[in-house]
Amino acid sequence: MLPRVLLCGNVEFALDELKHLLGGIADVVTLSSSTRTEFFASFEPGGPYEGTAAIFRRNVSAQRIGVFDRALIMGLPASVRWIAHSGVGYDQIDLEACRERGEYLSIGVSNTPGGESTATVALYLIISCLRHYSAAQRHLLSPELGWRDPQYNYAARAHGPQGRTLAILGLGTIGLSLAHYARPLGMRIVYHSRSKKGADEVPPWCEYVDSLEGLLREADVLSVHVPLNNVTRGMLGEREVRMMKRGSVLVNTARGAVLDEEAVIRALKDGHLSAVGLDVYPNEPNINPRLLAFPQAVLLPHVGGETYDTLRAREIKAITNLKDFLIKGRGEDLVPELRS
Amino acid sequence: MTQRKVMICGDLAWAHEECKQLFDGLAEVVRMDSQTRDDFLAGLKPGGKYADTVGIYRHNTSADRIGVFDKPVVAALSEAGVKWVAHNGAGYDQIDVLECRAKGITVSNTPGAVDDATATTALFLLVSCLRHFSHAERALRAGQWKNPLSAGKTHDLTGRTLGILGLGGIGLRLAHLVRAFPMEIVYHSRRPNPDAPSWCRYVEKLDDFWGACDVLSVHVPLRPETVHLVGEKEIRKMRKGSIIINTARGKVIDEEAMIRALEDGHLSSVGLDVYPDEPNVNPRLLEFPQNALLPHMGTENQDSQRKMEVRALTNVRDFLVQGAGKDVVPEMVSKL
Repeated sequence: MLPRVLLCGNVEFALDELKHLLGGIADVVTLSSSTRTEFFASFEPGGPYEGTAAIFRRNVSAQRIGVFDRALIMGLPASVRWIAHSGVGYDQIDLEACRERGEYLSIGVSNTPGGESTATVALYLIISCLRHYSAAQRHLLSPELGWRDPQYNYAARAHGPQGRTLAILGLGTIGLSLAHYARPLGMRIVYHSRSKKGADEVPPWCEYVDSLEGLLREADVLSVHVPLNNVTRGMLGEREVRMMKRGSVLVNTARGAVLDEEAVIRALKDGHLSAVGLDVYPNEPNINPRLLAFPQAVLLPHVGGETYDTLRAREIKAITNLKDFLIKGRGEDLVPELRS
Repeated sequence: MTQRKVMICGDLAWAHEECKQLFDGLAEVVRMDSQTRDDFLAGLKPGGKYADTVGIYRHNTSADRIGVFDKPVVAALSEAGVKWVAHNGAGYDQIDVLECRAKGITVSNTPGAVDDATATTALFLLVSCLRHFSHAERALRAGQWKNPLSAGKTHDLTGRTLGILGLGGIGLRLAHLVRAFPMEIVYHSRRPNPDAPSWCRYVEKLDDFWGACDVLSVHVPLRPETVHLVGEKEIRKMRKGSIIINTARGKVIDEEAMIRALEDGHLSSVGLDVYPDEPNVNPRLLEFPQNALLPHMGTENQDSQRKMEVRALTNVRDFLVQGAGKDVVPEMVSKL
């Protein structure tokens, strides 16, 4: 009997690869539960998910069974030993719980690292914030104005990226991709990470700043690229925002909860931040309505990795991680926290 | 001897101090304050407020009051002894340069000063169109989160081909910006550009160029021969689902043909900073939520504007001091 793979969240763009990679290797079943109780019950003997060895997971499955928190992880049967997450950020999976299930029950987790899509969002937000293009487009589209708003002083408020400092918080794949996209615009690139990157990992024009405070003080634009965990939750609060230069720009394509939203709103109100560019929010899909009051806020609905090309590539990568686990016992993209 | 004058034709926004410093002791700076063309022409006559003007700093905003520098204006300028018109802007289609040449007036523009700002705008529009970001922002602000969007219809830049129509300063800048992803780059110009890097592939025949692009970005100046250069035939030669970006001049594209192609999906979206009849925008363009439409913002930022003003003023100053400014437009050099 073939090992069973459960798809928590559909494969949409790589159905042919799914057949090709797992055909003859696994029996693939799809999440049909609409509640967590149903979900657990379906792993029982005779149930549709009985004997599942590995799970393909997308964040969208949280709408039906919730995130993969401690309760869910601990409730998975002994047979489940791998979760192949499709997506870069895996904060919806409780890694501690995966480890704590014990030596022969622990669950490996892989993600799908890759920078282009999200880094492109960050670049767009940076340009739009500096040049006030979001407001300008809205003015053109508004029936009352139909062109520029004579009351909005674009020229005084808008700046080019050339010669300005882009500070990157977290130089992983996405942060490094952004550095490469922003450099030809003539920006000075500085970064802060848990550790300084080696000379073979980053170009010489990526300047390391050894403290968060140091990074904040250098930034004309700060772009956030850290994963969400207990260390980074709320790491940019009132104190940190006020360390930034007056008139600077804050861009977040990582996770909403890294920022203290109230502190950001206060800073927009008094002009300490000249603009913000956000693709993520603390409580998606709910948006704090007070953000909408700022014409200089550039707001996207978490479209970071969502292109045909990237969604398809992620699905293929996740399925490949599944296949490698089934055949070799381990997927290549095992998340760093679970590497011993 | 009456002091020669430099006329500021279209007010400076930023470079007032620089202007004082550049012309201190060299010439009297006079502001063009005419509200009508008649007043302007009268002022150029002997004894008038603009008499003894030898060099002019010109900005397109002056056209709102006195019209463009067409044959009658050029004639009056020449009569008054004007020898240099330093235009602020890369595009100088509002000046009849051939008439200026015939009348012994040299025209300069401000290339380079606009390259970064305009190329950045083109990159912004290109990303917006490939990713449907304009629609995404609007959906969010309308309380719809991302419900109206189809992620499957959006694309990354990597591996897609950008076709640059006109590889001058701005086109070349854009090529460098998108190479970071990397996009493939092809271009067409009247002649191959010797400054083009090896990864910018020259396509000699226009006919071959259209079908080679996923995204076409227009970077040619507006001249009689470039009006509707991108027309029905040309658009139909492009790949189905292509995108057109225009940060040059609206009239280079046949707008009706472009809209027809949007309507039947031959073009998936367009990103525009310029229109044939600014500030009027054809309302039919607004019917496609995936379009990205800016109100001619290309150089609408403080850094660019100041740089451009200083560059144009410097052209006038260099003319006064050395007999010539650096940025003489190509038409001034006779090809006969």
